Amino acid sequence: MRILNLAAFCFAVTSALLLYSLNYETRRLEAHVQAQERAADKARSDIAILKAERSHLSRPDRIDALARQLGLTPPRPDQILGASELSSLDGKRRIAEGQ
Amino acid sequence: MASRMASNMASNVASDMANDMANTMDGGISVAPALPPQNRIGQQSGQWSRAAIANVLLFAGVIAAFGTVAGQLLSLGLTTRPQIALALSEPMATSFSRPDIIDRNGRLLATDVEAPSLFADPAIVLDRDEIVEKLVTVLPDLDQDDLRRALSDKTRRFVWIRRGLSPLVAQRIHDLGLPGLSFRKELRRAYPAGELAGHVIGSVNVDNKGTSGLEKYIDDQRGVDAVHAAQVSNRAPVRVSLDLGVQHALEDELDTAVRRYHTKGAAGLVLDIRNGEILASASLPRVDPLYPSSNTDPEHLDKIASGTYELGSVLKILTVGMALDEGIAKTRSIFDVREPLQAGRFTISDLHPAGRPLSVAEIFTHSSNVGAGLLALQAGPERTQAFLRKLGLLDPMKTEAGAVSPPQVPQRWERAELITVSFGHGLAVAPMQFAAACAALLNGGSQIVPTFLKAQPQSEPERIGLVTAETSREMAKLFRLNVLDADGTGKRADVPGYRVGGKTGTAERADRGGYEVKAVISSFLAAFPMDDPRYLTFVLLFEPKGVAETGGQRTASTNAAPVTGRLIGRIAAQLGVAPLNIVETQ
Repeated sequence: MRILNLAAFCFAVTSALLLYSLNYETRRLEAHVQAQERAADKARSDIAILKAERSHLSRPDRIDALARQLGLTPPRPDQILGASELSSLDGKRRIAEGQ
Repeated sequence: MASRMASNMASNVASDMANDMANTMDGGISVAPALPPQNRIGQQSGQWSRAAIANVLLFAGVIAAFGTVAGQLLSLGLTTRPQIALALSEPMATSFSRPDIIDRNGRLLATDVEAPSLFADPAIVLDRDEIVEKLVTVLPDLDQDDLRRALSDKTRRFVWIRRGLSPLVAQRIHDLGLPGLSFRKELRRAYPAGELAGHVIGSVNVDNKGTSGLEKYIDDQRGVDAVHAAQVSNRAPVRVSLDLGVQHALEDELDTAVRRYHTKGAAGLVLDIRNGEILASASLPRVDPLYPSSNTDPEHLDKIASGTYELGSVLKILTVGMALDEGIAKTRSIFDVREPLQAGRFTISDLHPAGRPLSVAEIFTHSSNVGAGLLALQAGPERTQAFLRKLGLLDPMKTEAGAVSPPQVPQRWERAELITVSFGHGLAVAPMQFAAACAALLNGGSQIVPTFLKAQPQSEPERIGLVTAETSREMAKLFRLNVLDADGTGKRADVPGYRVGGKTGTAERADRGGYEVKAVISSFLAAFPMDDPRYLTFVLLFEPKGVAETGGQRTASTNAAPVTGRLIGRIAAQLGVAPLNIVETQ
């Protein structure tokens, strides 16, 4: 009877301790997970804002104004050559260099 | 998990044991004073010594106590916090997270960003006058009376003050240190390209729900997610057919045109005639997707899709196309256009009478009203109506950005209506719908439906054959001729190398009780490269003034045509059209 009592008592104490520590561990992990999730959310939100900012900075009307300040204009048709004309262009350059 | 279950079971066992004990004890205690002889259990328990009973009592008490502790621990461990959080967020408004909108090359047109929103809890507000007075210093356009009334209702726990603040403003409000005010992160739609393509994109309301344009289409067809917190959508972005570069070139050229010709408004469209993709669609004055409430007046109407106009001479494209397709005439057939036509109380004559009979090709290039009228009269009302219906001009049309304004068709098709429709009066149609009809004439007869979504590479439109390939080729020749010819109305639209072809239209604007001669809509419908038409542009200028550059003229050949030329010069290379046979200028 005494041994049984002792065993039951020990069992109750250890299970209580076990539960207690499990509970603590779970809470710690939960806090950890929450922190990670917050960090991921923050990163996602930062990415969205940076993406929007990059697009805002590269919007065509801004680039247009900047390019015109630098003295650039839309390309004229005679500035565009086909791939077949590349070799003749190369030839012309060589002639120009030769002279 | 397993260990949790195990301990759960263990505690169940323990509590069962305790219950059993308690039952036994109950029995023991209740039956101990009067021992009924029949009760065997009672007789047995009666034989136990006093010490044994005390022992069992102690044992059971300890087990019950530990059982209670274990049970409490378990219940604490198993109950989760989110239930409490959910209960708190319930009175707050839901908002929506939306997929991004990107252009055909993947450049961002609309996206969600986090922005702080300001709300108040009237129950913990101490001094509402102080709050209102101090908030006004940061938010000058705040409705003070409204806020005072909302804050005085102590039964409310949640009052929005301003949603979607900039981080800077939020910080300044935070620095005021007012009790009862808090911030919540919310999603807010951002349009990185600003007002670019504002009419097409549409707008969202304060809950981030689409209310017009492509934003509404996303809500209706693609789906958005209701969220409680600022959670960026993980849906795939919606890829539209617009090309940001082409759209900008179009809007920029229209801006220049508005300044140069002092017009009241302008609109333009660039369409891929093979699959109906709209590469650019603009209407000036612009609208800002961020401020939809400022866009409701008629000035800001989307002139491409939401306005119908009598477009004038550009409709001769359809008259001549019909004549060729129905076999009424060949391009070389001669018509006598010297006599003005009588149509009811109107007399139809030409702006610049040729004074000689004209061929069908010349009717097109000289833009002869009498000639177009004669062609329509030869076809008759039934064939004319059938042809227009076939091209989809008489029925309502719809795109992803909403319904296109339905055409206003004449009630009866008598001689007068037939003649006036042949040169573009009496039939009012949205420019987008007209452009789609012309596209079918130029692409070999395939019906196209204008779309704002990027087409799948393998999806070729069905070749229904609205007109014959022969007609389509002839029309392309006429378009090109009108630009190449010395007398052609479109010669100012030519861009060396890009084989531009097109047709002018100068329509007197319909007004109360007749037509306003000075208020015209001048337009130019062009396509390029004309040897194998691929892209169609349509430029409309509303009420241009005669200026020195145009020699005081308001006609499309002096304003809309050169605008189209400059536009095509800018966008052709972007669209991958290579210039041909350029005479070197150096």
